[in-house]
Amino acid sequence: MVGTMSKTTMHKTVGNMPPDGYEWDPTFRNARRETWVILGVWGACMLWSVPYCYLNGYITAGQSVNPGDVAYVWGMPKWAFFGVFVPWLLADVATTVFCFWYMADDNLGEAHEGADLEEAIAEDSSTEARR
Amino acid sequence: MEGMSATLLAQSGSNSALFTFALYTMAVFVVAWFSNRLLQGKSFLSEYFLGSRSLGMWAFALTFAATSASGGSFTGFPAKIYTHGWILALWIASYMVVPICSMGLLAKRINQVARISGSITVPDVIRDRFESRWLGLLATLLIVFFVSFNLVAQFKAGSLILQALLRDVEMYHQAGVGMGVMKNSLGWWPNVDPEYLVCLFAFSVAVIAYTTYGGFHAVVWTDVMQGVVMVLGVLIMLPLALWQVGGLESASQRLAEMTPPRMGTCFVWLEHPAKQEIRVPAGQWLAVSRDQYLADFETFLPEAENTIKKNLQGKSTSAELETALAELRQRPTHIAAGPDTILLRVAKTRVIRQGSVTVEKLSASGSRVSDPVEVVELTTPREIAEQLARLVQEESQRRGITEAELTSRPTVSWLKCTMSTTDVSTYDYLFGAAQPGRYYIAQGPKLDSLGGFFPLSLAISFFFMWAISGAGQPQNMVRLMAFNSATTLRRSMFTVAIYYSLIYFPLVIIFCCARVLSPGMDAEPDGIMPHMAVLLTTASGNPWLAGLLIAAPFAAVMSTVDSFLLMVSSALVRDLYQRNINPQVSERRIKWMSYASTFVVGFCAMYGAIDPPQFLQDIIVYVGSGLAAAFLAPVSLSLYWPRVTASGVMSGMLAGFGAHLGMYLLGWVINGSFFKPYQLLDFDPILIGLLVSFITVPLVSLLSPPPPEHLVRKYFCRPKS
Repeated sequence: MVGTMSKTTMHKTVGNMPPDGYEWDPTFRNARRETWVILGVWGACMLWSVPYCYLNGYITAGQSVNPGDVAYVWGMPKWAFFGVFVPWLLADVATTVFCFWYMADDNLGEAHEGADLEEAIAEDSSTEARR
Repeated sequence: MEGMSATLLAQSGSNSALFTFALYTMAVFVVAWFSNRLLQGKSFLSEYFLGSRSLGMWAFALTFAATSASGGSFTGFPAKIYTHGWILALWIASYMVVPICSMGLLAKRINQVARISGSITVPDVIRDRFESRWLGLLATLLIVFFVSFNLVAQFKAGSLILQALLRDVEMYHQAGVGMGVMKNSLGWWPNVDPEYLVCLFAFSVAVIAYTTYGGFHAVVWTDVMQGVVMVLGVLIMLPLALWQVGGLESASQRLAEMTPPRMGTCFVWLEHPAKQEIRVPAGQWLAVSRDQYLADFETFLPEAENTIKKNLQGKSTSAELETALAELRQRPTHIAAGPDTILLRVAKTRVIRQGSVTVEKLSASGSRVSDPVEVVELTTPREIAEQLARLVQEESQRRGITEAELTSRPTVSWLKCTMSTTDVSTYDYLFGAAQPGRYYIAQGPKLDSLGGFFPLSLAISFFFMWAISGAGQPQNMVRLMAFNSATTLRRSMFTVAIYYSLIYFPLVIIFCCARVLSPGMDAEPDGIMPHMAVLLTTASGNPWLAGLLIAAPFAAVMSTVDSFLLMVSSALVRDLYQRNINPQVSERRIKWMSYASTFVVGFCAMYGAIDPPQFLQDIIVYVGSGLAAAFLAPVSLSLYWPRVTASGVMSGMLAGFGAHLGMYLLGWVINGSFFKPYQLLDFDPILIGLLVSFITVPLVSLLSPPPPEHLVRKYFCRPKS
C-alpha cells in the first residue's frame, strides 16, 4: 500500500478539469504552457545542430581530409560555426525573449514553513488516539 | 615555451596556486562566518538547508551555474578539447539550451509546491505531494546512496586538482615527505601517495569546515565568488590564447594539419650514477634518433604489445584490440618517412634514486629493477621541427655554445646532456593514426576505439543528457526551491544563459589553441588548464594573473562538493530523522544534529577518498545519469499532471533506475566491464532509463485509482473567484 489515504475523497475528473468550485491555479497553468515552449526551443536546437554537424562535419570510413581544402568561418571550422556557434547565439536570443517577454511573473505564494511537519505530528497524534 | 623553461614557469605558477589556495580558504571562512550570523533568529532548518527561500538574482543564478559547472568543466572538459579537438564544440552544444531547460522546466512549479507544503528537500517535496512516507523514504535512500558515491569521487577530484596545481611547490613536497614518514611509522595506507593525502586533507578541511559552519548560505555565497572567478578566468585566457597562437584561423589550420601522437614508454639512463636524487619531471622532452628508434622498436615490439593490452583491455572490444596490435606490427613502414629525430615528452614525473643510473621499481622478489617512463611521441613533422628548434635554442643559450655545436653531437645525448633514452616502445591511436584533419572533423581522434570519439548517436544522447537530465538532478532541484520570486527566476535564467555562453564555447577555442601552443600533453591532459594558465600569463608579462586563472578549476570543484555535502546531510537530518523518527525534535537539537551530520558525512567522504575504488570518473557518470533516470519523470509529472498517483511515481522511479542499471549490467555481461554499458541502438543508457520512466509513471497512474481530491486542490487549484 503506497501512501496514507486518510482523506479518501477521490477526484472524479482528474487531469482534465479542476474539482467543482475550483479552477486551475494560474501559476500551474502558466508554468505548463511555458514548459511546452521550452521543449520546443530544445527540440529546434537539437534538430538544427546535430543534423547540420553530421552532414558537414563527419567523414565516412576510409575518407581522408586534405588540410588545405577545409573551410573556416571566423577561424572556426565551417561545420562548428553554422552547426554550433550560430544556433548558440540564436538560443541566447530565444532565451532572452522567453525570459523578458513571454514568461509570466507568477505569484509563487507564501512559504508554509513547518506545515508538513505539523500535519505529520497531527496525524501521529490521531493514530495514537485511535489506538 | 617548453622544455627547461616550462619547468621554471610551472614553478612560479604553482607558487601563485599556493597563494591562491590560501587566499581562497580565508575568503570562504569569512563567508561562512557571515552566513552563520544569518542563521540567528530564523527557522534553522529552512535557513541551513535552503537559505530561507530568499535567494535573489545573482545568488540564485551563480549558485545554479557554479554547482552545475563541476570540477569537470575546468579539468575534464579542457582535457577532452585538447585530446580530441574541435568536436568538443558539438559535444557541449546542448549547453546552448541547458539554462532554459534545466531551470525553466521545473523551477516555477517545484518552488511553488515546496512553498505550499513547507518542503525543504527533494524527498520532502515528493513525500508531501503524495502524503506518502514510503515514497519519501525511497527518494531519500536513492539520493543518499548515489550522492555518497559521488561525494567520494568529487573529494578525490578536488584533491587531484590541488595536486596538479601544487606539483612544483617545494613546501608541498616537503609536506608530502612528512606525511609519508608519518603514515609509514603508523603503518596506515601503505599504497597511498603521501602527496595525494596532503592535498586531500587540505581540501577536505576547507570544504567541510565552511559548509558545516555556514550551511546553505555559505555554500551559495562561495558559489557566487567561485562563479565570478570562473568566468573571469575564461575571459582573460581567451584573448591571451588567441594572441599567442596568431588568431583563431591560424590555430584551426594547425589543428587540421596535426596527426594524433603515439603513446608508450621508454627507459632513461644517466651516464654516471646520480650523486643525489634526480627528478625526471613531467613535461621533460627527450630526443631519440630515428635509427635508434627503429632498432628499439624491433627489439621491444613485445613490450609495446603488452602496453597496448594493458591500456586497452576492459575499455575496447576484442576486435579493436586486435586491430591495434595489427597496426602496431605494421608501424615501422609508415614512420620511415618521418624526421630524423623522434621527440618524446615525459608524461609522469619519476625519480632516479641517489647512486642509481635509471628509474627503478621493486620487483616481486624485492630486488630493484629498471622501470620504464611513460612518454608521448609527437608525430606531426611541423610540430616536431618547431619543438626541436625551441629546445635547441634554449639549450644552446643555457650552455653558452652555438646551436651548430650543440646539434653536431650524438642526438641521443645532447638534450639534457647527462640523460639518454633507449628501449622506446609506442603505439598508435585506433581512430586517426597518421591521418591529418582528425582534430578538425566531427568524430575526433580516439586512442581506444575504431569509431572515433563522438559518433552521431552520442551527439543525440548528449542533447538529452545535458539539457534534459540536468533538470532531473536533485542538487539542481534544491536550488530551484530557494529563489524568492518569479522575477528572480526570469532574470536568473537570462544571466545563466549568458554566463554559460561566455564559458563553454570560449573554452573550446582556448584549448584548441592549447594543442598548438603546448603539444605532447596527451598522457596527462588533466593538467592542461593550470599549464595554460602559467604559459599564457607569463608569456604576456603578467605572471601574477596565473593565480586567478588557476583558481577557476579549484573554485568549480569546491562549489560542487559543498552542494553534495549539504544534500546528503539534509537527507539524513530532515528526511530520515525529523520526518520519520522524531517530528517533534527541538530546534536546538536539530541544529546540532545538522552541524554534526554535515561534519560526519564530509569526514566519511574524505575517508572514502583516501583509498577510493577504481573507475571513479565512471561512477560520477553512472550516478549523474542514474539519478536523472530515477527522478526526472516522477518529479516533473508530479508537478504538471494532476492525475499522477503515488503508485505511478514509485513505479516510475524504480523502473527508470532499474532500466538504467540494466543497461550497465548487460554491458558487464556483453562487454566484460560494468562501466562499458550496453548501448541499445547505440544510445546512452540514460535515454533508455528516461524513456522507460516516462512510460511507466503515466501507465501505472492510469491503472491505479485516481489521487485524493484534496491533494489535487492543494497543489493544482485555487477556489473560483
